[in-house]
Amino acid sequence: MDFDFSVITDHWQFLASGVGVTLALAALSGATSIAAGLALALLRLYGPRWLKPVVVFYIDSMRAIPVLVVLVWMFFALPLVAGITMAPFFAALLGLTVHLAPYAAEIFRAGIESVRPGQTRASLALGMSPAQIVRRIVLPQAVVRMLPAFGSFLSITIKDTAIASVIAVPELMRQSETVQGQSFQPIEVYTFAMLVYFVILFPVTRGVERIYRRLAHLGRS
Amino acid sequence: MTLDWNVVWQHREQLVTATGVTILLTVATMAIAVPCGIAVAVLRLYAWAPVRAMATAYVELFRNLPLILVVFWAFYVLPILTGLSLSPLATGLTALALNVTAYNAETFRAGINSIRRGQVDAAMALGMSRAEALRRVIVPQAARRILPVLASTWVSLFKDTSLVSVIAVSELAYAAMQIRAQTFRVLEMLTAMAAIYWLLGYPQAKLVDWIQRRYAVTE
Repeated sequence: MDFDFSVITDHWQFLASGVGVTLALAALSGATSIAAGLALALLRLYGPRWLKPVVVFYIDSMRAIPVLVVLVWMFFALPLVAGITMAPFFAALLGLTVHLAPYAAEIFRAGIESVRPGQTRASLALGMSPAQIVRRIVLPQAVVRMLPAFGSFLSITIKDTAIASVIAVPELMRQSETVQGQSFQPIEVYTFAMLVYFVILFPVTRGVERIYRRLAHLGRS
Repeated sequence: MTLDWNVVWQHREQLVTATGVTILLTVATMAIAVPCGIAVAVLRLYAWAPVRAMATAYVELFRNLPLILVVFWAFYVLPILTGLSLSPLATGLTALALNVTAYNAETFRAGINSIRRGQVDAAMALGMSRAEALRRVIVPQAARRILPVLASTWVSLFKDTSLVSVIAVSELAYAAMQIRAQTFRVLEMLTAMAAIYWLLGYPQAKLVDWIQRRYAVTE
C-alpha cells in the first residue's frame, strides 16, 4: 500500500482555510452559546415563575434532538418558515447556538447551585441586592468551579462544528471531503484531518484542566 | 405556503422501520461498548506498561475526534486497511462502537479510581484476595457512580446515531432526508424527523435525570 501525502501539500491552502472556518465557527458559536446559556440559567434560577417551565422544556428538548437534525432544520426548513435565506455559515452558527446554549445553561446552573445558599442569605443580611449577590458573591466562585465543565463544552463545540459539513459550511471536515472527492485518496486526506482535529482538541481539554488546577483554590469556600 | 402533513403519514412504514434501525444501532453499540469499555479500562489500570500506554492513546484519540470524521474514516479507510467490505450498517456500528468504547472506558476508569485505595487495603487486611476485594468492595460502589454516567452516554449515543446517515445507513435521519428529497416536502419531513427524535429522546433525558437523582453520591 502506497501513501502519497503530496495531496495534502497540493491542497494545503484549501485545507488551511477549512481549519480557519472551523476555528471561527467554534469561537463564535462558543461565545454566543455561553452568553445565551448564562441568560437561560439566570432565567431558570431567578426568572419569573411562569417562565421556568418554558426554559426547562427548551433545555430538555435540546438534550433529546440530535445536533445534525437542528442544523439541517435551520438550514433547509427555517428559510421556508421565516422567509429569509441564510448563508450556511450563519445557519450553522444559529443551529449550534440553539443546540449548545442549553448545555452551557446546565453548566452555569450546576455551578451556581454549588455555592451554598447560606452565602446568599449572609449577603442579603449585609444589605446586598440580588443582582449584586449574583455578580459579586455567587458567579466569581461558580465560574472557577465551572472551568472543567467548560473545557469539555469547548471540546464539544469544536467537534460539533464538523457536523456543519452536512450543510456545506466550508470548514475542515467539508474541505477534506471535497479534496477526497477530487483526489480519491481517502486514507491520506482523512488521516490528515484526524491529526488536525486531534492537535486542536487535545491541548484544549488538557489546557483547561491545567488552568483549573491553578485556579481551583479560588472556587473553594 | 401550503403544508401537506399527509406526506408523513404516507411514509409511516419507512419512518417506523428507520426508527427501528436507530434504536437497534443504539442498543447494539452499547452492547459492544460496555464490555469493551470495561476491558480497555482494566487494561489502562492494571496491564503491563506498554499495553497501558496503548489503551490510553486509544481513549485519548477517540475522545478528541469528531464522530462524523470517524464515521467517514471507517467508511473509506477501514475496507482498505482490513480488506473487508462491510455494509454501511456494520461500518456505522463500528465507528459508533469505537467512539463510545473510548468514552465508556474513561467512565469505568474514573468510577474505579473514585473508590479510595484504603478500601482495597482494608479488604486485603481482612483476608480478601485482590480479586475478591475488587468484586465485593470496589465494583458495588463504583457501579452506583458509573450507572448515571452511562445513562447520559446512552442519550448522547441515541442522538449521535444520526451521524451515520452521512454514509447512507438508513436510520431515521437518513430516511427522513431521503423522503424529503423524493417529495420536496422539506418543512414537513424535517419537522417530523425532529419530532420523532424528540418523542423518543425526551423521556430518555428525563429518565437520566431520575437515575442521577436516585444514585446521587453524597459524601
